[in-house]
Amino acid sequence: MNYGRELLKGNTDSLLLCLISRQPTYGYQIVKELEKRSNGYFQFKEGTLYPALHRLERDNLIRGKWQILPNGQQRRYYYITERGQQVLAKKLATWQDFSSAVKSVIQPETT
Amino acid sequence: MSSISHYLNRFKSSLKIDHTIRDGVAEELHAHLEDRIRELEEKGLSREEASKIAVQSLGSPELIAEQIYETHAQGSWKEAIFSALPHLLVALLFTSYYWQNIVYASIILALTVGIAIYGWHRGKPIWLFPWLGYYLLPVVISGILLLSLPEGWGWIAALIYIPLALFVFIHIVRQTARRDWLYASLMIAPMLVTFTWFSSLGKGNELLASDWAARLQSNALWIVISFVALAAATIAFIRLKQRRYKIISLLIPPLVVLFAVITASGGNIGSWGWLLLLFSLSAFAIPLWMQAKAYE
Repeated sequence: MNYGRELLKGNTDSLLLCLISRQPTYGYQIVKELEKRSNGYFQFKEGTLYPALHRLERDNLIRGKWQILPNGQQRRYYYITERGQQVLAKKLATWQDFSSAVKSVIQPETT
Repeated sequence: MSSISHYLNRFKSSLKIDHTIRDGVAEELHAHLEDRIRELEEKGLSREEASKIAVQSLGSPELIAEQIYETHAQGSWKEAIFSALPHLLVALLFTSYYWQNIVYASIILALTVGIAIYGWHRGKPIWLFPWLGYYLLPVVISGILLLSLPEGWGWIAALIYIPLALFVFIHIVRQTARRDWLYASLMIAPMLVTFTWFSSLGKGNELLASDWAARLQSNALWIVISFVALAAATIAFIRLKQRRYKIISLLIPPLVVLFAVITASGGNIGSWGWLLLLFSLSAFAIPLWMQAKAYE
C-alpha cells in the first residue's frame, strides 16, 4: 500500500472543495493547481478527477456550469455550493485538529 | 480516426447511463485533452505526439466510465423505495381479495399510468422503469385475452391488436435500452412475475381454467411473496453501485417466482402456460443477453 496515495485518496474531496471554493475552476486547471500548490507532491491521476467531481456534484457540494470561451471552446466550470462550503469548513476543522494532534505526538519532546 | 476520437468513443461505449450525462462527461474529457495537447504543443511536440501523451495521462477510458457509472447509477433511498412501490401495491392487492375489487384495481392502474407518463416526459428518471412495466402490462395482457374470444373472432382481433401492442412494447423497450439494457430488464420484471403466475391458471389447452379466480386466490400468499421479492430486488438494483451486482439482483426474482409457481401449482402448467412462461422469460433475459454481448 502506498501511504501517500492512500492519504491523497482519503482527502481528495477536501482538496477539491478547497480549490473550487477559492474560485470557480475546471478539471484541467484543478490538476495543474494541485500540482503547483503542492510543489508536485500531489500528482493526480487525471482521469480519476472527473468521477470525483461528479460525485461531489451529485452530493450537491459543487455545481457544474458550461461556459463558452471567446475562442469558442467550451469548458465546464465548477462552483462551490452553500452546502459545499459548510462541509468544507467541517472537514478543514477536523483536519486541523487531526494534524495538530499528530504533530504533537510525533514531534520530539523539548524538555 | 484520431486517437482522441478513438478514446472518446471507447469511453462512450463503456458508459451505460443517460446519454445526455454521458455526452456531457465526454465533452468535458475532450476539453481536458485539448488543454493538455495545447500545453504540449507549446513545448514543441507535434499534434500527434501530444495527443498520444494526453490520452495516456488521462488513463483508461473504461476505468473512468466505470467510476462515472458508479456515481450516476446509484439512486437515493427515496428513489429506490419509489421504484419498489408499484410492486408493493400489487402485493397489497393480493393480501386480501382487493385484486377482485374493481375500484381498488382501477385506482392502482390509473396511478401507475399517470406516474409512468409523468416520468417518461420528465427525463426518464431511474425510478420510472418498474412503473413503466406495469403501464405496459395491460397492453400485453389485452392481446393475450383477445385469444380467448369466441372461435374465429379471437384470432381476427388478435391479428389486428397484437402487432400494434408489439409495436408499442418494442418501441418502449428500445427507447429504454438506449439508455441501458438493464433498465429494460427492470421494466420487464413485473411482466415476468405476472405472466409466470398467469401461466399457472390454465388447464390443458385452455388459457384460463374455469376456476382460475379461486386458484389465484389460493396462491395469494405465494403471489405476495413474489412481488415482495421483486420489490426487494428493485431496491437493491437502485441502491447498488456496481453493474455486476445490479445484474445479480435482477436474476433473483425470476428464480423466486419460478420456485413459487412450480410449488404452488405442483408443476401442473398447461400448454398456454408454458408458452407464456417462455415468452416472459425470454423478454426478461434478452436485455441481459444484449448487455452481456455488449461486454464482449
